[in-house]
Amino acid sequence: MSETIVLTLRAPLERMLDLSAVAADRFAALAEREIAGQPVRYGGLAAALGDFVVVRGERSTRLRLEGDFARADGIGTGMAGGEITILGPVGRDAGLALAGGTIDVRGSAGPNAGGAPPGAARGMTGGEIMIRGSAGEEVGAAMRRGLIVVMEDAGRGMGRGMIAGTVVVMGNVGPGAGRFVKRGSIVAFGALAPPATFRYACTYRPPHLGVLLRSLRARHGLPFTDAHVAGRYHRYSGDFAELGRGEILHWAEAQS
Amino acid sequence: MLIEDTFAEAFTMRAARIIITGKTDRWAREAALKLTGFATSVIGCKCEAGIERTLPAAETPDGRPGISVLFLTMDKQSLPERLIERVGQTVLTCPTTACFDGLPSAPDRLPVGKALRVFGDGFQASKVIAGRRYWRIPVMEGEFLIEETFGMQKAVGGGNFLILADDADSCLAAAEAAVAAMDPLPGVILPFPGGIVRSGSKVGSRRYKKMIATTNDAFAPTLRAITETALPEGVNSVLEIVLDGLDGGAIETAMRAGIAAACRAGVRAISAGNYGGKLGPHHFPLRTIMGSGT
Repeated sequence: MSETIVLTLRAPLERMLDLSAVAADRFAALAEREIAGQPVRYGGLAAALGDFVVVRGERSTRLRLEGDFARADGIGTGMAGGEITILGPVGRDAGLALAGGTIDVRGSAGPNAGGAPPGAARGMTGGEIMIRGSAGEEVGAAMRRGLIVVMEDAGRGMGRGMIAGTVVVMGNVGPGAGRFVKRGSIVAFGALAPPATFRYACTYRPPHLGVLLRSLRARHGLPFTDAHVAGRYHRYSGDFAELGRGEILHWAEAQS
Repeated sequence: MLIEDTFAEAFTMRAARIIITGKTDRWAREAALKLTGFATSVIGCKCEAGIERTLPAAETPDGRPGISVLFLTMDKQSLPERLIERVGQTVLTCPTTACFDGLPSAPDRLPVGKALRVFGDGFQASKVIAGRRYWRIPVMEGEFLIEETFGMQKAVGGGNFLILADDADSCLAAAEAAVAAMDPLPGVILPFPGGIVRSGSKVGSRRYKKMIATTNDAFAPTLRAITETALPEGVNSVLEIVLDGLDGGAIETAMRAGIAAACRAGVRAISAGNYGGKLGPHHFPLRTIMGSGT
């Protein structure tokens, strides 16, 4: 048993690599050779994980990916526990339907991080996704529970159709954030234009954000300042095209 | 100065630790004082509670000034009932405050926030942060935040010692010194006013059948001549320090500090209240705690 399983990319990816088999909890009982033999698809063709990465370590729920995985999709799909740290960017669908555990992307993420598989009603149902760069379109779409933090900008349609859960974005938020949200929270520190189907409620200090941001600072070293922790936020309720029980909390000091 | 060869007899209770935060220390304290008001003894208050210590902002979950409160009852069932009543009427109502569990690793969980959330009339919302669920209850000020469950653990209630002094002034001064020494110690509270009890009691009554506790006549100076007194010559006033703690070790440490501080001019002896060892499972022998015979 290793403390951490390390997957190091052998060579830059020229096509899309489907890594939806890579989930920390699934490797808990696997030997190094079994991990290397996990099925993946490269450019739509069947292959083995070991064809693309060097595997070091075995039988652990802590996983570290080293290299540029911007063309690797679906890392952490359906994961229910454990930790994945990616030292670089990832492709689309990172943490797709995540149920538990933590995915820490030390780079940017493609579209639909924490989102739902095609045709599914629910995205992630638990766990945490930290994206230390920017996130593509529809991050957190249809999420049911859990937390996503984006430390730079988030693309169009962030949190689209959220059922519950929380998405925090430090940077600017693309258009259409929170459209069709039932419940759930979007917390934004950069520029954001609430959809027309949201209504302004008040400007106040949400007490849970102090707990949340301090917890993220302590557990993940995310650079939330005391001004964020103790700050005031504009609260918008919506989406009134749906239940209207969701919210956008927009930092009052944000430069819009 | 005599440390009497006796012991304090204490009981197993159930305890919760409540962390109250506020915009300022003042508002956290206002809520804590109301929460712990009229909670001196289970005999008449159904619970015992007190401020354990002041928490700097860096030690609280939301980074604001806080107060740690210990809250005890005699049984498992009544602890959540009392907490729901009191937190709902004192902390929920107090401006700027939030309420957190101070025993997160305790396996026994009390659904205090879960019960109080319905004050939100369906508008409440929950958030899970680092595995702990919090309820956001909308109120006129903004939102009240409370953790869904609070930990409960076994605790020790009724630790005590008696200060037997020449006169009332020196007795009070010694008791105040004892409280000052015990107050900062973690894991204990002194639930009585200023930490001091002037009306120590005995079990039952010699005259009134319905009374479960009446004056401790053996230690009442004015009754020396007409009752079976326990007072040495020259003692004209007695005060009691009662303490509850999360475990026996915390009680012992606090008693040691308090007794040492109380041993000053005008104090003739230190004694303790017990029931012959038949009622409470926790015994705190004074001489063993102080590590000497006198």
